[in-house]
This record gives sequence, structure tokens and C-alpha cells, in this order.
Amino acid sequence: MTDAASERQPSGRRMRGLPAIVAFAALVVLAVAVLMPIGLTGLNGFKELGELQTHPFGLPRVWMWSNYWGILASLRYWQVLGNSLLIAALTVFLTLAVSSMAAFTFAHLRFFGDRFLLSYMMLGLLFPVATAILPLFIKIRDLGLLDSYWGIVLPQVAFSLAMSILLLRVAFKQLPIELLDAAMMDGCGYFSYFFFITLPLSGPVLSTVAIISFVGSWNGYLLPLVVLNSESRYPWTLGLMAYQGQYTTSWQLVLAFISLTILPAILIFLLAQRYIVAGLTAGAVKA
Amino acid sequence: MNLRHLALAAVCAAALSAPAFADTTVTLLHVSEDKTTQALWDQIAKDYEATHPGVKVEVKYLENEAFKAKLPTMLQADESRPSLFYTWGGGVMDAQSKAGFLKDVSADVAGVEANMAPTAVDAIKVDGKAVGVPFDQGVVSFFYNKKLFEKAGVKAEEIKSWDDLLAAVKTLKAAGITPISVGAGEKWPMHFYYSYLVMRIGGEHALADAKAGKDGGFKSAIFVEAGKRLRELGALEPFQAGYLTTKHAESTGIFGDGKAAMELMGEWFIGMQAPSSASGKGQPEEDIGIFSFPIVAGGKGKATDTLGGVNGFLVTKTAPKEAVDFLNFFSQEKYAKEAAEKGAYIPAYKGSGAWVKDPLVKQVAAELAATTYHQNFFDQDLGPSVGRVINDVSVAVAAGQTTPEAAAAAIQDAWDQQ
Amino acid sequence: MTIDRAALAYAPAGERVDASPEMAFGHTPAVFVETRRRMSMNGWATLIVFLPPALLLFTIFVALPMVEAGWYSFFNWNGFGRPEKFIGLKNYVWVFDNPAFTRALINNGLIIVVSLLVQLPLALGVALLIAGRMTGAVWFRMIFFLPYILADVAAGLIWRFMLDGQIGIPAIITSLLGLQPFYLLGSKDWAFSAVLIVILWKYFGFHMMLYIAGLQGIDREMLEAAEMDGAKPYQRFWHITLPLLGPMIRLSIFFSVVGALQLFDIIVPLTGGGPFDTTHTMVSFLYYFGITRMRVGFGSAVGVVLFIICVTFAFGYRRLFMRDD
Repeated sequence: MTDAASERQPSGRRMRGLPAIVAFAALVVLAVAVLMPIGLTGLNGFKELGELQTHPFGLPRVWMWSNYWGILASLRYWQVLGNSLLIAALTVFLTLAVSSMAAFTFAHLRFFGDRFLLSYMMLGLLFPVATAILPLFIKIRDLGLLDSYWGIVLPQVAFSLAMSILLLRVAFKQLPIELLDAAMMDGCGYFSYFFFITLPLSGPVLSTVAIISFVGSWNGYLLPLVVLNSESRYPWTLGLMAYQGQYTTSWQLVLAFISLTILPAILIFLLAQRYIVAGLTAGAVKA
Repeated sequence: MNLRHLALAAVCAAALSAPAFADTTVTLLHVSEDKTTQALWDQIAKDYEATHPGVKVEVKYLENEAFKAKLPTMLQADESRPSLFYTWGGGVMDAQSKAGFLKDVSADVAGVEANMAPTAVDAIKVDGKAVGVPFDQGVVSFFYNKKLFEKAGVKAEEIKSWDDLLAAVKTLKAAGITPISVGAGEKWPMHFYYSYLVMRIGGEHALADAKAGKDGGFKSAIFVEAGKRLRELGALEPFQAGYLTTKHAESTGIFGDGKAAMELMGEWFIGMQAPSSASGKGQPEEDIGIFSFPIVAGGKGKATDTLGGVNGFLVTKTAPKEAVDFLNFFSQEKYAKEAAEKGAYIPAYKGSGAWVKDPLVKQVAAELAATTYHQNFFDQDLGPSVGRVINDVSVAVAAGQTTPEAAAAAIQDAWDQQ
Repeated sequence: MTIDRAALAYAPAGERVDASPEMAFGHTPAVFVETRRRMSMNGWATLIVFLPPALLLFTIFVALPMVEAGWYSFFNWNGFGRPEKFIGLKNYVWVFDNPAFTRALINNGLIIVVSLLVQLPLALGVALLIAGRMTGAVWFRMIFFLPYILADVAAGLIWRFMLDGQIGIPAIITSLLGLQPFYLLGSKDWAFSAVLIVILWKYFGFHMMLYIAGLQGIDREMLEAAEMDGAKPYQRFWHITLPLLGPMIRLSIFFSVVGALQLFDIIVPLTGGGPFDTTHTMVSFLYYFGITRMRVGFGSAVGVVLFIICVTFAFGYRRLFMRDD
């Protein structure tokens, strides 16, 4: 949907002359304003504290590569990224598995109370995790999942179910009904139909669900904040705050740490921009 | 039984018994960012492991705010609960004990307690039972930059009363010097002012009376008066610019960089001001002086009443018996002496002031030794919920955001609501 | 962006129309059943394997905690042991008596207002510019969307640096003008505007993308026909583009409100709710006054209030504005 935008345009005519120049200039100014905080964060991570305090804007006079190397060489940097990756991967995998199975039953099977159960699951769309965070914390504690990856993964999956099931169910129902008829005629059961026909034909919607739940998990903060205690299990969001708490007085290191922790997200975004934008916005719009 | 069987049996026996040796892990959760202290604790842990094969001692260090935020949840689950953890005593410890997280170790630690300062030992007891062991004690006092004082013509020895302090603030301001740095962004540094004022105005029973609900509890004239005095100071705008966003470490750094003349802080300030400063060097120790919180004219409190922490380590209910053993191990005089000599902290030992070498720490130890009444930090004493409120209102009153009356009422409300 | 599809779920019959053409003629249950397969053994087996994981997870981690929040909110409980001190509605009284909570409510409202009055027009304007074949449109889109993929925590921390009174933008301005340093984040009157700036910076790209998607759906021939008829550009925008963007605008508003209601991650690194608790949102209030003080009953009451607001909004908004979308 994104690349098509440059081909199609609503006004039917390309802007020309002065208005085009003014519009372009305005966009450039806006773009600079949007990029500046990120750029300054990266640049100031290279400075010495003294220079940062006196000249926060502008290039470093002395490039302190050691600020960055020190973090890259530290275990904690790789550990927090690894934790985030593990948590996000588990979340995505479980979300896809659990919600596609449920969506499949809601799409193709009729049974007593199906509409009620679907409506029940859709209640999850109505409120965010934060509303129930205290009882959720107590639940996680009573289940003995505090300070464990599962204590984050399972609630994350549970809260993304409503949305995922909704997206998937619509997509599954849109597969030609003849396919199911033919499959049933050939004696192919629901299981085989699900694994060999539904899933392979639903690549785009599955990847939409995957992207949404990955980004949500990767950037998640509240749930890990409440559930985790050991720094060795911190995802990068918590790790960043812990680092900031420890180096309160050394902004240059904090900025370098921010730059390095947001780097993976930026790189992946630049590489797979089309899919991510499509996933995040189309996912929101479609259903 | 031939030799091969015997060998096999031996291997099996070794395999079975080995875990029994290596399985015990004592975890200790410490609040410290001071390298000297950390080195000492790591050393004690190593010494213990060397003399007690099969026991592993894991010492984890957390930053103050992180520790307070995390501990309540860590205590909840068996897997995350440490064997021993840092405490400031007071209402927080009482709540932990009431919730059944702590172990009564009175019988096991009686030996080491005999050598320790009674005020400290009492601070780590709940209903007369020891739930851990104290290890250090401290006092909150004013640290000042001698050169800046000299430049402005202020003499620290002459700051005896609250009015003297206000006068000194004015003089410093007139000389273009920021009089006081405070980490109000974290709120608790400001509550030292409020607490000390309550102590100086109401004397040693003020807090206990308020808790008991006497004279309107926290709404009593004492707390309102303390708020008024604090606002008096705040109205002079004595703090560094942007103090409401300043974190504790940042404010200590401001003093270390010579950008403020005073800071009211606990003894850990001494080891912290240099590493927190932008230069990394801080103020040389000979340029730092200490004076006690001044008295308030007409108040019941004495200049020698002290506010400060008693820190100890508490034993959790699921701690292995080795944890208590380790507790006794680190409470040896040998380590207390080492800590004092290195200036890591002031041990809770009787007469520990004599071991201290660092002149500034020695001064704090002397204050402590001469104390007429030692009060635990208010926010710790009052427990997590009320403690946070007293921190909040201290900042609000100082900045003129709340009236002293409303502040006192807010504390009472929080007290009633728990 | 997790909440929006509520109404769809409550109108499942409408969806089924697409799947089965005969449904268009009769909505009787009899016809309805015909379109579905009768459950075979195979179907039952599938059901028993496929559905329980989702139901179980949802019940344990979403539904039950919400019900329990309602239960705990009647107790004065510090989370240790079991809730025993029943205090009726007192927690709710305390919540609404708390000035920090009232302020949080106002702040949540402010976020919504700014989203509507500033973010929406800005996003729409930029979308119109970019959707027209502007040079570098792809780049602009990417740049404006970039902040959206960053974690709120990182965004908050970056802006804590950008708005610092000593080294940030305010410092540059005050030193240029020869004024005293200005600590935006420490000013009770201005600190919340910092939160608004960060929200604007981070989220307008997302809304822009929604509008671009909406603009692509507009039939070009209609605009061209209008142009032939002599309609001026602003007339075309006002009478054709804007009405056709209606669904997208309503969706964008929906996301703004929902996002505002659950905002938390930005507050913690940026202001921590301070100074004087003037910059809390409902969720940060819940965290700082409920969780860190271990007041489970009190915090649960805040959660219930938030829940009621969310549900009322989701249903109300659907009913009022999004019925025909």
C-alpha cells in the first residue's frame, strides 16, 4: 500500500511552481525537526561530558568512540537485546499458533455458544493491559511466574489474542469456500486443511499479526517492569532505564546506550520499511 | 565386589553427594554504588566461600530507587526471594515481617549483637525479636564547601539556629553562589529537611506521638510548624536551578563540581561526591566541612539529636541456614574494622569511630557516638505508602505548592488510609 | 491500536453476509445454519484441540484479572496474604479525592484535545502534501513514520535530554536571549507540554499514514470530474476528499483517544509524573500510587475507573460515529 502512494494522487495533478516549492520546504523543515532528536542522541553519545554540557548541538570536537565501544563490549548490552529478542520471538510464535487455531474454529466450525465465545474473546479489544495490571501482577505471582520470561510472554499473548483472532478469522473466511468443500470431499480433515491449505494461503495476514505482536513485545515496558526483578532477564527497555539510573550524571553514556539499543529497530525498519508500515497501519485499518 | 564395582560405586556416591555440597547458594541483595563497599563485600563473600566449601555466596548490588521499586515484588515469590537483603529498618521492615517474609533469628545472632551499638541492634528488631543484623549507621548532616563559604564570608561554626542558616543562605545568594543543592527530583532528599525540622521542633517523641494520634496526629502544630519553616527556606530560593528535576546523584555532582555551597545528606555523600561530579574528581576532602542541622529556637529538640539510617541485613523465611551463618561471618569485628579503615561505612560496632581513618567519616562517627536520640529516616519509619507521601509533600511545601497545613493533613490521610 | 474492532465483534451476523450470498435474502436462523457445516467427529476433535489454548490464556490473563480488579477494589490490601479488610467504596472515594488523580484525568483530556486540534490537522496536511506526487515522498513518509517504531521509553528519555534546562533546546534559547536557564520539565505549568510534544513527535507519522491509506482509496475520476466542472482545489478538498476520508478520520480519532488512555511509557523517563504530580496520566497514576506503594485495592479501583472509561468510550464511539463504516 505504501509504494503505490507515490503513483496515485488524489488531486489528479502534480503540484507545480511556487506552491510546490513552499510545500517541499515545509516538509524538509518538518523532517529535520523529526530527525533532530534522534540525530543529536547519536552524535552526543560521541562527546565528552564536559563538551556535551557546553556544546550539546554540533559535531563532537573529539570523537569519543570509547563511549560506544565500551557499551558494545559490555555483556549487558547484548544480554538486554538477547532477552528482548527471546521474549518477542516466543510471543510472536505463541500468538500465531494459539490465535490461528482459535480463529480457524471460529471461522469454520459451528457449535453451541460459538458466537458467545467469540464475543467473550473480543472483550479483550476493549481495554489495555494497564487497567488490570495489579491483579495481573498478583495472578503472575500466584502462578509462580514472577521474574520469568513466561510471566511476560503469556500475558502479552493473551492480550494480543482478541485482535489477532479477529484479523485472522476474517482472512480465513475469505479463502474460497470451494477449497474447503473440495478438501472435505477428498476426505481431508480439518487438521490437514488447516495446516496444508489455510496456513500456507494466509501468509500476508499471518505476517501482519506477527509484525504487530513483535513490535508490541519488543517495545513493551510496563509488563516487564512489573514482572521482572533480575537484571539478567531485563529486556532492552528496562535495561535502558536501569542504565540511565546508574549513569544519571553521564548523559553522554546514556545517549550512546539509547542509540545502540534503538539501532536494531531503526535498521530493520529501513530494510523492511514497506512490510512494517503496511503491517502496522493496514493491520489497524483492515478489520 | 571387584574393583570395578567399587570404582563405580565411588563415582556414583560422589555424583550423588556433590550437589549436596555445591547446592547451597546464599543470595544477598545490597544497595550500594560505592566501589570501596562493593569490593569489600565481594571479598567477604569470597573469604566465606573459601572456608565453607559447597556454599556459594552471590552478592547483587542495586541502585537505591531500583531496589525500592523491586524489593516488594521480589519478596513475593520463592524463586526470586533473596536469602539476605539490605534494610533501613522501620515501618517497611515491620510490614515485611508482618507479611511473614522474615525469619526470627534472635538466638543465632545474639553473639554478634553483644558487640554492637544498642541503638543499631534495636533498629533491626520487630516486637523485640531480631530479624537480621545491623551493619552500619549513619547521620544526615550539612556538608559544605569551605572555599565557597569563605568567599561569601559565611562561617559554618556560627550556624547554630535555623535563623542562622537562613541568614547564611541569604549571604551566599548575595555573593552569587547557589547556597544549596538538593536532588528534589527523587523527593526523599528534601524530606530530610522536613524530618529534621519536626525533630528539632517537637523533640524525640514527635514522630511516635503523631503515629499514636496525639494532638491531631500528623496534623499537630509540630508538623505544621515544620512545614512553615521549610517554606521559609524555600521562599529564599536557595536551591540550584531546575532542582525539581535533579536526581540525587546529579545534585551530589553539582556539589562535587563546586557549583553549590551546601547539601544536606547522609554520610554516603562523602564517597559519592567525587564520582558524581562532571570532572570525576569532586572537591578535595580538606575543602569539605560538616555541621549539624541547626536547632529551631523554642523547639524541644537538641542539636545532638540525629536523623540517619541504621542499615542491616534481614533474613528471609526461605533462607538456608548457611545464610544466618554468613550473617555472623560478615558481622565479625575484622570486617567491621576493615570497612571503617577503608572509609566504606561506619560499622554499627561499639566504639567503631576509633577505627575510622577518613577525617570526614570520623566526624560523622563522632556525631553518632554523641547522639542524644537517633531517629530512623521518616520515609522508612513510616512504611512504603505514608513514606512516599511525606517525601511528596516535603518537596511541595518547600516549593510553595502546598500549604503546611494541607501537607500535614495529607500525611495524616495517608496514615489513616493504610 | 489494540482496541478498535469491538463493534465488529458485536455484529458478527453482518460479516457472515459476505461469506454466504443466500444470507442476503433471509436472516432466519434456519438459513444461517445451512451455511455452516454440521459438526462431525473430526470437527469436534478440531474444536477440542484448537480452541482451549486461546480460551484458557484469555481467561487467566485477561478476563479473570479484570474481574479480580473489581473484587480487590473493595478492600484495603497491601498485596501480602489475602484481602481481608473490606472497606466498601472507600477506595473509589480516595481515588477521586486525590488531586493527582483529578489532574491525571485532566491530562488525559488534554492529550485528546491536542491530538484532535493539532495532531490530526498536521497529519492530514502532511498526508495531502505527500500523497500528491511530491519529490522524495517516499523518504518523507519514512522519516515521519520512524519515531512511531521507537519504544516510548526511548522516546521519553531522548526528549528528557532534548528538553533539559542545561543542555537541551530550552538552554539554547535562553542563552541566546540572555535569560536564566529554563527547566521545562521542572515547571509545573509547562512540564505537561513536554509530554504533549513527545506524543506529537512520536505519533503524528502513524496518523499521517492512516490518511495516506485513506487518500489512496479515493476515486481519482471523481476529483477529475469535479475539476472539469470548475471546482476549485479547496472546494474539491472540502466537498469530496474530506467526506471520503471520514472513516479514516474517525479511526484516527479513535486511536488518539485509546492511545491517550493507556499512555504510560513516555511519562516514566520524561517526568516520572512530576513536578508535584502534575504530569500523570491515569496509568502512571495507577503505577506510582498503586503498584510502587503496594496499595492493591486502591490501584485496582483506579484500574476499574479506567476500564469503565475505556469500555464506555469504545461502545459509545462506535454507536455514535462508526456505525456505517
